[in-house]
Amino acid sequence: MNQEASINFSEDEKDILQEIMNIAFGNATADLAEVVDIYVMLSVPNIQVIGIGELPFYLKDTIKDDGESSIVEQKFWGSFKGSGLLVFPSGSGKDLLAFLDDRADYHHEGTAAATLEKGGLLEIGNILIGACVGKVSELLSTFVTYSPPQVLQGKSSDYNYLIEHFDPMQTAIVMKTIFTFKEKDINGFLLILTNHESIDWLRKALHEFMGSYE
Amino acid sequence: MIFSQMFDMLDVGIVILDSDLKVYKWNRWMATHSKLSPEKIVGKSLFDFFPDLNTPWFLRNCKSVFTFGNFAFFSQKLHKYCFPFKAYNTLGSDFEHMQQSCTVGPLRDENSRINYIYLTVQDVTEVAAYEHKLITMNTRDGLTGIFNRRYLEAKLKEEVDRHIRYNRPLSLIMLDIDHFKKINDTHGHQAGDFILKNLATTIDERIRAVDIVARYGGEEFCCLLPETTSESALALAEFLRMGIEAEIYHFKDKSIKITISQGVSDLSDGVDSAEALLKLADDGLYESKRLGRNKVSMITNKTKNP
Repeated sequence: MNQEASINFSEDEKDILQEIMNIAFGNATADLAEVVDIYVMLSVPNIQVIGIGELPFYLKDTIKDDGESSIVEQKFWGSFKGSGLLVFPSGSGKDLLAFLDDRADYHHEGTAAATLEKGGLLEIGNILIGACVGKVSELLSTFVTYSPPQVLQGKSSDYNYLIEHFDPMQTAIVMKTIFTFKEKDINGFLLILTNHESIDWLRKALHEFMGSYE
Repeated sequence: MIFSQMFDMLDVGIVILDSDLKVYKWNRWMATHSKLSPEKIVGKSLFDFFPDLNTPWFLRNCKSVFTFGNFAFFSQKLHKYCFPFKAYNTLGSDFEHMQQSCTVGPLRDENSRINYIYLTVQDVTEVAAYEHKLITMNTRDGLTGIFNRRYLEAKLKEEVDRHIRYNRPLSLIMLDIDHFKKINDTHGHQAGDFILKNLATTIDERIRAVDIVARYGGEEFCCLLPETTSESALALAEFLRMGIEAEIYHFKDKSIKITISQGVSDLSDGVDSAEALLKLADDGLYESKRLGRNKVSMITNKTKNP
């Protein structure tokens, strides 16, 4: 794989990816509302190409964690490969549960409140990450397989865990969007980290996507 | 041929559902555990046979898989199980139902349309049982079965934090068996252990469900009493003192009587930490010993520094 070429992800290519994400997130928003009654707004995504070595600093700066943010992380793989990272501000766990106001359906007693809260985060995280990554994949004519999501604490050891499967010499494309739940005062952001291996594939897929319009 | 064999050979439940959540395929594992043959269930709605699955969370996740092609994970921690199958092959666990970890994912046709989803069911009862055992070992005292000191200290910290936030009352009783060494010396250590176990039970039966009784040291116990003023805690201590004084413990052919000394403390002016609460209860306990045992005492910062 040509690393130089990967780092020089061109402005044009960034623009195409930006456009794809605009379309994908628009579709995701519409379908989330229609299909699963989750009303969420996603901001225009911001795309950055960063060296993996800088990723922990980028995450630390972006997340500005006070130790109480709830972070849901989910890895996905296929031609398009990376991680989805959903960051909720501190104290939003309980409000989020109100979305899934069917917790009584968890038909088992003795499940601790903290476990329910974590379960709610995992479920919302799984659906939001799945919707966004899924729609991007769809536009790029591919599909991905997901690992189970997990809740991370905002500790630096956890960031390290996040990037341990990335080579620090390599590059990641970070797509960031801010999401807001309508009529609820909850917002946070979603990061999609693409790892190095899929950058060449991504570039090709972007050109094919444009090709279909030419 | 080989692929279709795999469907029935794997030690995993596999179901394929169409977009109306009707069963399209039902593998041998599912048939065995549900006692429903494919002939019976294929073509029917899954909910006809498993009405408990007809819930918002299950529907929401299935719809999401059909729409986004993502995966849905129903973890054992949160859901315990999706299908109420009997648990078996699990030595020493008391789960009535097989604990399951379930995953739902998309199946696409040649045009990448998702017309079907698959659902896999994994039996994780053994893992859940081990986890349960580890939690018990980590929070319970091996001899008496009541909570251990580690758990008490964690809970105490939580309750003190709650007191600081909401200013709710919180009390603590520390108690100790009088002349416990004599019981061991006279009747043997087995009798001593018997007394410890039975005393733990006696106390556990006399406190509320929200209270926590823990073995704090050798013959020392602690009761953590949330939402309890020192007046109520003193009354409870007196109730325990009289109850235990009246009790006769029968070990083999011996009748053993014991008494306990107690110290009570509460979070009040100047006492705002777990350490201070424990220290004052301990001071009270020693005051009871000093006064001749089988007593309840309460030392406050005021009594100490009038």
